[in-house]
Amino acid sequence: MVERFDAVIIGGGSAGLAALKQLANQGKQAVLIEAGTSPGTKNVSGGILYSKKPKDGKVYNVEDVYGQDFLSDAPFERMITKYMLHATSKDKIFSIDLTAAHHYQANYGCSVLMNKLNSWFAKEAGQSAEKQGGGIVSGVHVRSIGWKSNEESIAIIETDELEPFEAKAVIAADGVNSEVAELTQARDKFSPHQLYQGVKVIVKLPEQIMEERFGIEYDSGAAHLFAGDVTLNHIGGGFVYTNRDSLSAGVVYHYDSLMRNPSEPHTLVDTLLQNPMVSEFIKDEVAVKQEIDKNLPKEEQLRIQFAVSKLIKTWGELRHAYYSANGRKGLIESGKYKSDEDIRARVESIKQELESKYSTRFVTDYVELEYSAKIIPDGKRCAMRQPYYKNILFVGDAAGRGIFIGPRIEGINVGIDDAARAAESVARAIDRNVFSEDYLGQYYSQSLEASPYTKDMREIDKDYLKIFLDAAKEVPRDIIGQRYGMVLKLMSSGTLRGLAIGFANILGFERLLPLVESEETYVQVPIELADRLGKQVTSTYNPSIPTVAQRIAKLKYNDDRISHIKVLDPQSDFMKKMVKLCPTNCYSLEDQSVVLQHEACVECGTCAKETDWHHPRGEMGVSYQYG
Amino acid sequence: MIGMRSLNVAVIVKLEPDFSEGNVSYNADGTLNRAETKSILGPHSAIASLAAFYSKVRYGARITVGTMGPPIADAALQQAQMLCDADELHLYSDRLFAGADTLATAETLKAGISKMQGGIEGMDLVFSGHRASDGETGQTGPQTAWKLGFPFLGNVIDYNLDLERRTIRAKRLISLQGFYDIVEEIEAPLPAFVSVDPSYQPNFNTVSQRLALGRYRKEAAERSSNYKQYLKVFNAQQMGVDPKLVGLPGSPTIVYKVEKIPKAKASRKSEVIDGANPEHIRLAAAKIHEILSGAVVK
Ligand SMILES: Cc1cc2nc3c(=O)[nH]c(=O)nc-3n(C[C@H](O)[C@H](O)[C@H](O)COP(=O)(O)OP(=O)(O)OC[C@H]3O[C@@H](n4cnc5c(N)ncnc54)[C@H](O)[C@@H]3O)c2cc1C
Ligand code: SF4
Repeated sequence: MVERFDAVIIGGGSAGLAALKQLANQGKQAVLIEAGTSPGTKNVSGGILYSKKPKDGKVYNVEDVYGQDFLSDAPFERMITKYMLHATSKDKIFSIDLTAAHHYQANYGCSVLMNKLNSWFAKEAGQSAEKQGGGIVSGVHVRSIGWKSNEESIAIIETDELEPFEAKAVIAADGVNSEVAELTQARDKFSPHQLYQGVKVIVKLPEQIMEERFGIEYDSGAAHLFAGDVTLNHIGGGFVYTNRDSLSAGVVYHYDSLMRNPSEPHTLVDTLLQNPMVSEFIKDEVAVKQEIDKNLPKEEQLRIQFAVSKLIKTWGELRHAYYSANGRKGLIESGKYKSDEDIRARVESIKQELESKYSTRFVTDYVELEYSAKIIPDGKRCAMRQPYYKNILFVGDAAGRGIFIGPRIEGINVGIDDAARAAESVARAIDRNVFSEDYLGQYYSQSLEASPYTKDMREIDKDYLKIFLDAAKEVPRDIIGQRYGMVLKLMSSGTLRGLAIGFANILGFERLLPLVESEETYVQVPIELADRLGKQVTSTYNPSIPTVAQRIAKLKYNDDRISHIKVLDPQSDFMKKMVKLCPTNCYSLEDQSVVLQHEACVECGTCAKETDWHHPRGEMGVSYQYG
Repeated sequence: MIGMRSLNVAVIVKLEPDFSEGNVSYNADGTLNRAETKSILGPHSAIASLAAFYSKVRYGARITVGTMGPPIADAALQQAQMLCDADELHLYSDRLFAGADTLATAETLKAGISKMQGGIEGMDLVFSGHRASDGETGQTGPQTAWKLGFPFLGNVIDYNLDLERRTIRAKRLISLQGFYDIVEEIEAPLPAFVSVDPSYQPNFNTVSQRLALGRYRKEAAERSSNYKQYLKVFNAQQMGVDPKLVGLPGSPTIVYKVEKIPKAKASRKSEVIDGANPEHIRLAAAKIHEILSGAVVK
């Protein structure tokens, strides 16, 4: 007998998990299917998770779903209390404090790492769902979805791993490269002009070194955004966020800007890391092994190699713990050390032993932990107008929803709001036992229409703009080109601003965006600002940046012999651009034809538009440890 | 569930020396130095535990894991509980059991099973590993089955139960007329004794099974971190065994001496081939061809 469930959620990112939790909160049975080995292994973010308080209307925040104790229970990284925008030109930097924009209508924004956060969400949502007879099934990849011929509202879901099963309602939370959307043709695959490409590295940095460097405390954190020459003439910018004991440093660029003038994604990240301010942010003390004398007997070489690796590891771990109040406390409580001084002395003595015995050098450099990439849907341009199909509701990235306007980057919170609304719509359908498109889909769609986030994806918020302009008021008018000069003049008066924005909103985002989101905004104006007003920043060293191959070697993969991507036209212009735009160099050109080697694929979706693109089978492919 | 009562399942496991690098120690006479060698749940016992766990996930079985051994053997029970979410752990421990061969062990295990939920009459399935890594005889299982009077199904790689008809349908890996890896499918009435092949892999292929799997795994992790709460230790008297049938007195065989097999002299010759040199590759290919054509039966 085919198993049937009231609600099935496809995809266990932050949006899908919120849907599961919210359905359980309402006493409803739901099952979540996630392709990764466990929730959190396939998700990438920047990322700052916001909790918002819009002036009109209500959004569902993370605490509405997971409870008011979210901040005391959940493993977020740092509360972000400082938000800066830096305009760069070579070694000159002009900075604008955007903390007010960060706090705009926000209860808070905290930095997060998706693997840790989604694991916690999964634990909470899974437990609640089990009480209702549902739960999370990981390592299963949904490959097709159909409907019973006589019952339009019973979906039949097929996976690569399990026997088919049925669902009365489906929530598609399968991310930006949604196969559910493609299978049902509920929307087209997103096109480059609707997307950003995000590429990020996690950099290891001891807690208290970070706090001193960024001017933050244990319970605070900083976010730094970058535009100007770091963008290599692309529309978008870079970011550095402080986590508990690591930094997230990455870039987000308009995909069509990359298509026009392709740059390799890793080069874009590297350029950010090489900016003197960023180099100084990420630097740390790093041990460099001395080459072992090849003339020594093999055994002796091995012994030395082993001893040095072990000592460096101990030195690194102990030093990392030493620069953290909790780390020191743990070491002292374990009884191995008597005092902070004791730990410091041990770190020093290991270092000396390494130097004197093994000629290990200690230099200034940085330590990269993980490289990741993902495309991001630009909600302004691609939010689904009809986010449902039969008895399927689309949420989060799968629905193309997210707010990306200048420094405002919000996808996680938007997905959670969607998910709560979808869960409510499904719960209502379960109560009435009516799962028709009219009853379920339209209700959900109306609920989304009422969400303040939807409005933010369609209109300019004049209050936000004012905060932004206030922050930038020190910028001399003449730097900003004529086009902006006019705008600024309008904006400086309250009445005119109201009129101007009213007019702009009539014009519509679509016509307005190309003006605002332009190279002028992201590249030329910042460069001029930095050149004319910027302070000189120098870096004391050159970060030794790993190659793509080294970065790939650090990632965890479960190799699938069968490729999850098939190239359709190996000679198309689009595919040829992938040779440059794939963040892990999976494409190469041989005799004018593009060849794919899928093994290093990080499933970012950059190549999805013109390929037969699927997520790998359950448990296969990349598993992020940070995300 | 069978009728109103739950399906009763036993797993017989063994604490075995950890043969991985650096953990083994031998006595001067070549026998294992048990005191010095680290112990873990034997790999075959681990597979038996996984096979039992399948019956929990699929059929809601109630599982008891039993082992005969010294008090430290409770480590094996804890590890087994982690794998199969056992409801009860039994340790059969008595000096009287020392020096037991497979027959005497079977006698003790039979007495142990009689102490499990429902006793021997109420037992539905007993799982054991293919064999132990240290004894290598593979006889304990069949002998225990024989003592219990249960049909014995060896080398099982997959099984399902029909609870209504009270039968087990199992796939066994056998060798037949010189061919290996032949799969035989058989049906037997319950109760039955199943020895699990090392290649056994549980397969959970419905959503409900996966959900149950997740729940039981979590329960298993919780239980095994408090395994002492589930542990019952029995001595010979409590088990009501006949001292003549267990331990050294009950053992018709003893291990006299274990010989290290001398390393055979290698008779291989090697030639270095330069992969960048096409001439070398051609020579190597010719050599392979020569060897293969000698072996291929046309
Ligand atoms: C570099 C970068 C920076 C960002 N910065 C921020 C930020 O600072 N703040 C912010 O709010 N947002 C930010 N975002 C956006 C945010 O990360 C995303 O909007 C959010 O993570 C999307 O969550 P989701 O649950 O919708 O999708 P995903 O996290 O993509 O989850 C989809 C899940 O579905 C699973 N799945 C897919 N297909 C199937 C299938 N067929 N069967 C089974 N499972 C399947 C996948 O394995 C995956 O786990 C950033 C994104 C990037 C890339
Ligand atoms: S092959 Fe495609 S999906 Fe995979 S990493 Fe490269 S661009 Fe991204």
